[in-house]
Amino acid sequence: MFNLMRIAVRNVVRNKRRTVITLLALLIGVGVMVSVRGLLNGLQASMIESVTKGQVGALQVHRKGYLKNVLSSPLDLQVPANEAFLKKLAAVPHVIGVAPRILFGGMINVEEETLFVMMFAVDPKREFVALPKRRDTFSAPAQAFVTGSSDEGVVVTEELAKGLLGTKRRDFSAPTAILAPDRDGALSAENAKILGTMAMSAPGEKKIALVSLALAQRLLKLQGQATEVAIAVDDLEYGPQVAADLRQLLGDTYEVHQWDEIALFFKDVVRRQEIMLSVIASVFMILMLLGVANTMLMSVLERTREIGTMMAVGVRRSKIIGLFLLEALTIGVLGGLVGGAVGLGVVTYMGLHPLHIALPTSPVPFVVVPFIGMGYIASVVAIAGVGALFFALYPAWRASRLRPVEALAGG
Amino acid sequence: MSLVALKGIKKSYELGKTTVHALKGVELTIEAGEFTVVMGPSGSGKTTLLNIIGCLDRASEGSYQLDGAEIGHRDFNDLAEVRNRKIGFIFQNFNLIPVLNVVENIEFPCVIRGEGGKSLRDRVHALASEVGLSPHLLHKPDELSGGQRQRVAIARALITQPQLVLADEPTANLDSVTSTQIIDLMLKLNRDKGVTFLFSTHDPRVMEHARRVVYIHDGAIVDGSAHAAADVAHNKAIAIPH
Repeated sequence: MFNLMRIAVRNVVRNKRRTVITLLALLIGVGVMVSVRGLLNGLQASMIESVTKGQVGALQVHRKGYLKNVLSSPLDLQVPANEAFLKKLAAVPHVIGVAPRILFGGMINVEEETLFVMMFAVDPKREFVALPKRRDTFSAPAQAFVTGSSDEGVVVTEELAKGLLGTKRRDFSAPTAILAPDRDGALSAENAKILGTMAMSAPGEKKIALVSLALAQRLLKLQGQATEVAIAVDDLEYGPQVAADLRQLLGDTYEVHQWDEIALFFKDVVRRQEIMLSVIASVFMILMLLGVANTMLMSVLERTREIGTMMAVGVRRSKIIGLFLLEALTIGVLGGLVGGAVGLGVVTYMGLHPLHIALPTSPVPFVVVPFIGMGYIASVVAIAGVGALFFALYPAWRASRLRPVEALAGG
Repeated sequence: MSLVALKGIKKSYELGKTTVHALKGVELTIEAGEFTVVMGPSGSGKTTLLNIIGCLDRASEGSYQLDGAEIGHRDFNDLAEVRNRKIGFIFQNFNLIPVLNVVENIEFPCVIRGEGGKSLRDRVHALASEVGLSPHLLHKPDELSGGQRQRVAIARALITQPQLVLADEPTANLDSVTSTQIIDLMLKLNRDKGVTFLFSTHDPRVMEHARRVVYIHDGAIVDGSAHAAADVAHNKAIAIPH
């Protein structure tokens, strides 16, 4: 075996130019796979951060059965929003912020224009501590909402602003009112003031207004109540542990969900990205492994007489197969390692120089910091090695099936 | 008991739509210690005969006993084993493994059957010294002259201490001085160590030294002694009847 390996390695080195070209193909293939994976890791991490620190939170607490009926925004499934309850939640280890909210359907009226809107009521003093990234999507005037100086303030999505004020006439100073049916079905209204706009980075409902929790509680007659509490944690890794602790603390009356159970669109986006990566990776992998197969086939054709010589002195067919497989494995692993190192270099460089992707929906650029795990690189190197073995099976088998007499005569 | 005993060996193969009868019932025995030359014109079947005796090819019909054992119908791996244990090969084109140096080429047939260590290395060095390769032990084949390469091939053929060494035109690619040296070397090995050699050659100098000449014509052995005598006489050689 050792002897075969020695011959295999020397044969790989023997035809330098061809080996370099094959290695280059592997390098590009593996390098691209690692780089794209790193980029996707960064993108997904950025998306997770945006979801957990800007929209959903790491976890959410609802009254039991709320999430099943979330589309109807049921106001009778409440959670307390009082200090005592929130303090109890905040005392759970790894929790760094709690933000009570009310999600409800209503209308917003500016002069003669009235539109149906998804309302999102938050407590500015808690919301922006627990989910600091939400304010990143706010326009400059909308930042006033963060201070919570007036509970009449409203921040609306760009789409809603266009619907209410028209594309040209941008005047937020006109008299504005928020209307909604309370939990008993009676329609009531509160005065409001549109402060500015925010961007929605998540797909779904586009006409959304952010109002203060105090205003919503008055409007809906839900004093001291909310429909959900978003929980921020110091590290997402502790999500499951915090969820378990909260369930134990709150009992059966409430339900606790982690962010990925709520932001279902995220899973869909990730699934599409993964499919795309798989397609790219497969195409590159197959192309580069075809290069290995081609190299091995040429090698067999060129070395027919040598194979005959080996057979003449008594080398068995299985060892001839073994020799060519070892050569392919050497090329595959070597190319994989070099490609992995290059990919790691590219990802590390991109990590040190993060990409600032300007999204049309957000005033703040989306920052992507690519990163890669050594496990992924190891698996790609393994795939390159095993793939090279697989693609060398036919050339190796062909070599082993040569008849000694014909092989010695040069095929 | 003869080392090689061929009875009624026939070999035919398809060439396009025609069947070529390369050997048409060869009867031949070779005793241990012989220095035998097979000769005949191109296409007479001498390479086919050597291939069958060397277990590189199988006869279509007939019986082939090597060292008393019938081996005509063994499978590929069995024949590989026979080649490895009992037969050494010296080829016209030397056929060394290009990526191995002199020592590695010589020891190769032993290494593939699992031998190794100091005792093998000692044997390789002794043999290399005997064939005059001591200064070139770590050279690769492409750093050697034709004569040196053939010496490596001879050492490789002998390292397993085979019962029979087959040499297919071993001097065809060598100049006359080197050819003479190689022939002398093989004669010496035959004389001193009793190695059995079977040659196919056109080289009159080899025939000069042959103890026995087997003449093959149109796929059959023809009256060995008469042709051999004629050939040897033709080559103005001193024939030593067996």
